[in-house]
Amino acid sequence: MKGLSKIFSLRLLINLFLLRPFLKLVFGINVAGRKNLGALDRYIIIANHNSHLDIMLLFSILPAKHILTTHPVAAEEYFSKWKVLFKIVDYLFRPIWIVREEKAEDPLKGMKEKLSSGHNIIIFPEGTRGIPGQIGKFKTGVGRLAEEYRDVPIIPVFLSGPEKAFPKKSAFPLPIWNNITVGPPQIFMGASLDITASLEKMIRELSESETANRHRRHKRAKHSFVLAVLGIDGSGKSTLSRRLSIRLSDSFKVCLVSDNLEFYEDEKQKEVQPLLTEKLREAVGRYAKTAKSLKNYKIPKMTELLLRDHIMGEVQRWYSPDIIVQDGCPLLNLTAWAKLHKEKYFNADLCSSAIKILTGRGGGVRKADHIFEKFPELAVLKRFKLTHMKLPDAVIMLDIDPSISIKRIQSRGERKQVHETEEKLVKLREGYLIVCNSVKKEFNIPTRILDGQSEIDKVTASALEFFEEECKREPANG
Amino acid sequence: MFSDMPKTIVVLIFLCLSLFSILKRIFKIKFTYDSYLNYLWTFSLMFVVSETISFKISIWILALLCFVALREYFTLVDIRLQDRWGILGAYLSIPFMIIFIQLDAYGMFIISIPIYAFLVIPFLITLGGKEIEGTLFSIGVIDFGIFLLVYCIGHIGYLSLFSTWMAVMLILNVAVCDFISILMRKRIKPPRHWILPQYFMSAPVIVIITLVLSEWTRIPQLHCIFLGIMIPALVAIGRHTIRYIEKDFGIRRDELVPGKGQVLDSLRSFLYTAPVVFHYIRYFSNKAGGF
Repeated sequence: MKGLSKIFSLRLLINLFLLRPFLKLVFGINVAGRKNLGALDRYIIIANHNSHLDIMLLFSILPAKHILTTHPVAAEEYFSKWKVLFKIVDYLFRPIWIVREEKAEDPLKGMKEKLSSGHNIIIFPEGTRGIPGQIGKFKTGVGRLAEEYRDVPIIPVFLSGPEKAFPKKSAFPLPIWNNITVGPPQIFMGASLDITASLEKMIRELSESETANRHRRHKRAKHSFVLAVLGIDGSGKSTLSRRLSIRLSDSFKVCLVSDNLEFYEDEKQKEVQPLLTEKLREAVGRYAKTAKSLKNYKIPKMTELLLRDHIMGEVQRWYSPDIIVQDGCPLLNLTAWAKLHKEKYFNADLCSSAIKILTGRGGGVRKADHIFEKFPELAVLKRFKLTHMKLPDAVIMLDIDPSISIKRIQSRGERKQVHETEEKLVKLREGYLIVCNSVKKEFNIPTRILDGQSEIDKVTASALEFFEEECKREPANG
Repeated sequence: MFSDMPKTIVVLIFLCLSLFSILKRIFKIKFTYDSYLNYLWTFSLMFVVSETISFKISIWILALLCFVALREYFTLVDIRLQDRWGILGAYLSIPFMIIFIQLDAYGMFIISIPIYAFLVIPFLITLGGKEIEGTLFSIGVIDFGIFLLVYCIGHIGYLSLFSTWMAVMLILNVAVCDFISILMRKRIKPPRHWILPQYFMSAPVIVIITLVLSEWTRIPQLHCIFLGIMIPALVAIGRHTIRYIEKDFGIRRDELVPGKGQVLDSLRSFLYTAPVVFHYIRYFSNKAGGF
């Protein structure tokens, strides 16, 4: 007689013939791994929690014989706000009500009672409905429970879809398919904290397997802050930019564009996928360094600088770092080098219009302008549409007396490049200073000139200070 | 009870399909193109209901089909939290369209979605919240969804209001096109440009079917030939276009599940065919004062 009443329990009938068809018709349910649930008699189900639909969805995949003996864990103070809802939920699912208060004795007491009497429970270890689509930190209760009842297997279940169908703070549910992935049952031997951690990991793994091939909206690539370090050869700009990248990488993802492409995170260098353009640039750069005269040096160097500028775009696209530190900005270097080649024409006005042309803002510069006569290179670059170089967001110039820098270059013991003589470096330094001034005045780019003769630690500290000031100002500008 | 031939044929097809799907359930036969049969069954159910009970009830079966297709579409696209009002609007446009078909309000049916739903849904999206980024994408996605999966499928309903037999002709022709392309895919390794051979294989068959059915559809024979040439081309274009959308969704042909591309995959042949065939028939029947 008792068995018969169990079969014809109204609760069971409502669950089976009202709730299930309703969920299937309106929302649609896909279950993967249902066989993981079938063979077991006692279990604890853990699942991620995003929505009020979660309990109903989990009940809809339970075997019919377990519907009456399974109890979800729910927070009392949330549901008790509405008397009718509380009664309905209490009748349909017979939850274990948890009072989220400090005073309550043992919060696990109710669950332990049910588990000891052979019933199953459903726990949402995140404790509450978190941010839609994200798995929150697991509470430790589930680990303690698993430690005590080592013979009861734990089934991790991942629900995807409820976070879209009926997320937190939404007024109404929407018909959207729900995918339920049931993982293999687990029995744990370790301590409670380890159990919690490994369960969290398991749910995360399930989530990755489930949502991997779902359509996602492309996020707009964020703009990286470009910091350029200028200076003549031997001013210590390579050292400064490397130190700067390492120091900045404690809180940002930093990419250093120097002779090599280096990527720093957490003050350590990281291996990244090499870029083909970078390899090409390296080869061109090596070739340029072997040039014997300034004339032979010009074209390979220009190619290298253009490639280096192109790499900036690729770095942003593929690695999307927060900060790009440049060892010498291609655009500004190119401009400053004009001083070396065409000294008599070079002045601040010309410098700013050259930058305008090279960055593609040269709409105001007419074709017959005398600048193209003086610098035929600019006309060539414009002709081949290579005038889309990028201006940095901040510039640091390392100023140094050329006589000292020559000594530094000699002490390296490498082969000297063509332009590395004192006379030429003096000109180059002047060129850099003119460029820095015009960049500051014409383009409103923050620029700081640092003394390259002082100690490297001091210089790094002041460069960092400068960067922090600019970073704070950045949102105000944008 | 079934005095005339065509009614008997439709009922027979429906019974065969039902029997087949019941047998499949019992013996658990796995069939690759399961879903095509399911939709064929749904359409035949619709025609049986409209022939034996009433058209007004049968049209709600089409509404259910629209709902299922739209639900799958919204599952696949990435929606923001604040698009929910817009999506609710999209779902609500289905009953309105169905009621206009029931009332034979052609003007309202033809403008309700392209004008009113098209304009109201962006407004609902903007009411949903204050986030601005991605608004254009959401409007595009939701409007495209109802155009494709509600409006285009709705034309089948209006065609069956004209005459159930025209709708039967359309569904049968599209199903035959699908069947031929499945057969060809199984027999021959698909070459690079294989839309053309597929078209030339199916066009004669479709012309013959349309001509045979012309006794009941009452379409003049010249138009039957034109339709027979047109339908396979439209099916090929539709399949080709929707294939791109499916690929963008990340749907793979080997793992079609309801909720993950199965509905869209099965309906894709109808999406381009239904509106064009409907408007073709309507234009020429109006011109000739009714077929």
